[in-house]
Formats: sequence, structure tokens, C-alpha cells
Amino acid sequence: MPLNVDDMIRAARLAGFEWSASELEPIRPAVERALESLARLERLGPEAPEPATLYRVV
Amino acid sequence: MAELHWASAGELARQIATKAVSPVEVVTAHLDRIARLDPTLRAFITVCGDAAVEAARAAETALAAGRAVGPLHGVPLALKDLFATAGVRTTGGSRILADSVPAEDATVVARLRAAGGIVLGKLNMHEFAYGPEGLNEHYGLARNPWDAAAARIPGGSSSGSGVAVAAGLTPAALGSDTGGSIRIPAALCGITGLKPTYGRASRAGVLPLAWSMDHVGPMCRTAADCALLLGAMAGYDPADASTSVLPVPDYAAALTGDVTGLRVGLLRGFFLQSAAPEVAAAVERAAKTLEGLGAVVDEVTLAHMADVGPAAFAIVASEALAYHAEWMRTRAADYQADVRERLRMGAFVSGVHYVRGQQLRAVVRGEVDGALARRDVLLAPTTPLAAPLAGELQARVGDGLSDVRSALLRLTRPFNFTGHPACSLPCGFTGGGLPIGMQIVGRPFDEATVLRTADAYQRATDWHARHPALA
Repeated sequence: MPLNVDDMIRAARLAGFEWSASELEPIRPAVERALESLARLERLGPEAPEPATLYRVV
Repeated sequence: MAELHWASAGELARQIATKAVSPVEVVTAHLDRIARLDPTLRAFITVCGDAAVEAARAAETALAAGRAVGPLHGVPLALKDLFATAGVRTTGGSRILADSVPAEDATVVARLRAAGGIVLGKLNMHEFAYGPEGLNEHYGLARNPWDAAAARIPGGSSSGSGVAVAAGLTPAALGSDTGGSIRIPAALCGITGLKPTYGRASRAGVLPLAWSMDHVGPMCRTAADCALLLGAMAGYDPADASTSVLPVPDYAAALTGDVTGLRVGLLRGFFLQSAAPEVAAAVERAAKTLEGLGAVVDEVTLAHMADVGPAAFAIVASEALAYHAEWMRTRAADYQADVRERLRMGAFVSGVHYVRGQQLRAVVRGEVDGALARRDVLLAPTTPLAAPLAGELQARVGDGLSDVRSALLRLTRPFNFTGHPACSLPCGFTGGGLPIGMQIVGRPFDEATVLRTADAYQRATDWHARHPALA
């Protein structure tokens, strides 16, 4: 998903971080790739198992 | 006994208990070697020389007085510098915590000391454990002892632990593993490292990277030594709500050397296709070796492995930024560049992404449990490649070019995601003389079978007994 640095500044601000364009531009391509790969997880949909919120294996 | 610095922790414990060698001799031999080699290798951030000698003298006095001693009495060990140590700085490999001195030991450190272990010092690591290469701008790059001159990476994030054990600076170390940080340096440095089941060993007093994926475990030169340390450190801890109340078995007693009838699943597909040809060949030879010892080997393919990377990223990036949020607002310039950038990426992961990651986690855990319902252990390469050079950004792995960081994490991270125990051990060398590691994965809380398999393999091979040539 194409992402511009102004979107990133706004998203970071919503998360509570005041980061500048020069701080975010270097990670823009990596964030784009990450968001593309995260979109694959949407395949799981509502019928997927409940989240593994209890980490203890036994 | 052979040179003290190449003796195993178990052998040192036996020799000390029978007074064939004194704890002071053992600790001094290791401190001398650290003084000689560590200026080049940079495995240690802090050496606790005086305290270690003092503890060794006390151990000697206890023996002379005939007092009861623990299974690690007088045995030196070292700790990744994210385990809290009372009165000794615990930096997390960072500038931010450079002067942080805890008041208490982490639970596992206290348990190892109670068993008689003597802490030589605190080990180098990727800053805040957030990287599989083992890079550190603040305390210097720990160098892989198999090719220190070329500045080949040791792997991380427990880089100093891998280097120190491989170079004979300590017989045993502790590491932590969120995406492979025990097993990756174990593989790249040619040693044995165990990531126990999530909940088997306490994380209390250990700086977190991502709470739900962090594990702590031993890094040694043999599976037998990993069994010795795990037995001393594992078990329920009221200070860590994720620890299990299951009893801790006698891991050393499980090392029978017998794998007759053991059902081993060789992980193909994602795991072997990713590996460089000489890595894949070494693991396939190891499967044959186990077959020759009486194990029954078949092949397994797991379907959802390709999605583990994004899902684990969503979880680790979110949890890591949550822990570091305040420092990222006020001291971002104090992080090394790669860690700062990785932390920033966590701000772009949504709550929905995080939950999807946890949903996939349930799917993959069920898939691995299913594979282990009909088998005792699974076998796979630990990393798809041997140690890259520092600064190498891309590497050719089985299915094409990959960035080094992703390649290093690719095969270990699935078992942080699921929580299954996994042990990395040496299974060969590349044509260039670099170690190759394989991992043995077991059922939840069945570290005993994982260690029995690794130990049987090490009784039949000598890869783990080879040492790097160091001046």
C-alpha cells in the first residue's frame, strides 16, 4: 500500500509519538512492505480460531 | 583433565566435587582467558573478576568444610546483559541503561547461584535484544570466533553468549530468545543452545523485548550441559505469571543415549527449501545419523509457516514499542539506528493486526502440535545460512536473495510463536569452515526428549567438540 510520509507523521502522532519527516522517511519503504504482508493475515477472517491470548502452553 | 577452559560444565562440577581441581583454579583460568582474548572478541560488557574470585574462594571453603554443595558448585558461567544482577550493572546492551544497577538478581540467576554457579560477568548483545545479527554500537561488535579476523557476525541477539561459550571464555551462559536469539548465535558460533517451552523458565528480572514471545535458556557446548543448567533454573516462579506449575524432571537422567524407536519428523518445505544447499545437506545427514542410531525418520511439511513472519512482526513490534514508548519519546537519539527504526515501525501496527497475529498463533500452534502428535521431535536447520560478514545486507538462501535479518529469523521464529521447546546444536561445517546448526523441536514441556535426542546425536558425532583456532 503506497504510503506518504505525512500519513506516517499523523499516524505516529495518533499513537503518541511526535516524529518528523526526516525521522520517518527512512522507514517508509519497510513500513509499506510490512503493511502489505500484514494484509495477508486478513484471510483469517471471522471463522479463524480465537486469539492465543493465553500464552501458557500447558 | 584437558585444558580447563575447554572442559564442560558437568566435567568441571565433577572435578571440583572430588577436589581434583579447585574452584579458584577454574575461575582464574577462565578470567585469564577472558583477559587475553576478549579485547578482540568483545563478548563481555562487564567482567566481574573480583566478585568471581571471591565466590570461588567461598566455594573452596565450603568444600573443605564438607558442606553440602549444589550441582554447579564452583562452575563459572556468564549472563547476557539483560538478566538483572544485584549490585552489577545490567545495560541491555544500551546506552540508556548504561548505569542501571539492579537491587536483586533475576529469578534464574538466583537459582543458578544457589546451585553453586559463579558469575564471571555480563555478556554483549544486540541492543535491547532487538536484532538477530548481534550488533552493538555502544559496546562494540562481538566477533564470531570462527572468523574473528574477518568480523563475521556471531548472530544475536545473545551474541556475547555465543562467542564466550564458543571461545572457551565460559563453559555456560544464559541467553534469551524472542525470535531465535539463543538458537541463532548457537548455530553461527557452533555451540548448543536450548529455548525451553514458554513457561518453563522464569522471565522475572529479565529485560523484555516482547513479553509473549520471550524465553530464557542455557547456551553451552553440549546438550548434557544444557540439561544441567535447565534443571537448576527451571520451574514455577510466583514472580512470573506465565511459568508453569508442572514439576521439573531430572533432565540429566533423561540422557540415556538411546533413541531406538524415537519418531523424528524432518521438516521439509519452508524449512529445507529455505536453506543453503550445504546447510540442507548437513541436516539431511544428521537425520540419517539419527536413523542409524535407531530413530524412525519421516518427512513433515507445515502449511502456515510463510505467514508466521508478518504475524510475529505484528506481535513483537507492538509489544516492543509498548515497553520502549517513554524512552522513544524522550531519548530516541540514544538508541542505535537499526533498533530505533525497528521500534518506530511498531507505531504503524494496528490493534486488528495484533489480534490477527494472535489468531494465526493459535492456528500454527495447533499445526505443530498435530505434527508432534505422531512424532517425538521435529528436525530442521536452525538458520538457512552460516555466519554472514558484518555489514552484509543480503544473502543467497535456497529460494533466492533475502535480507540477512529476515533470513536469520526465518526458521527459528515459528517456535517462539508457538512456544514449543527447541534446541540448536552443531551438525556440520561449511566448505569455508563455518559451523552449521540444526534445531530439534519437541512437545510442550518435553525438553527431556529434545535433550535426549541432542545428546544421543552428540555421542555419535564430534561437531560440538571442535573449537575455533584462537591465538
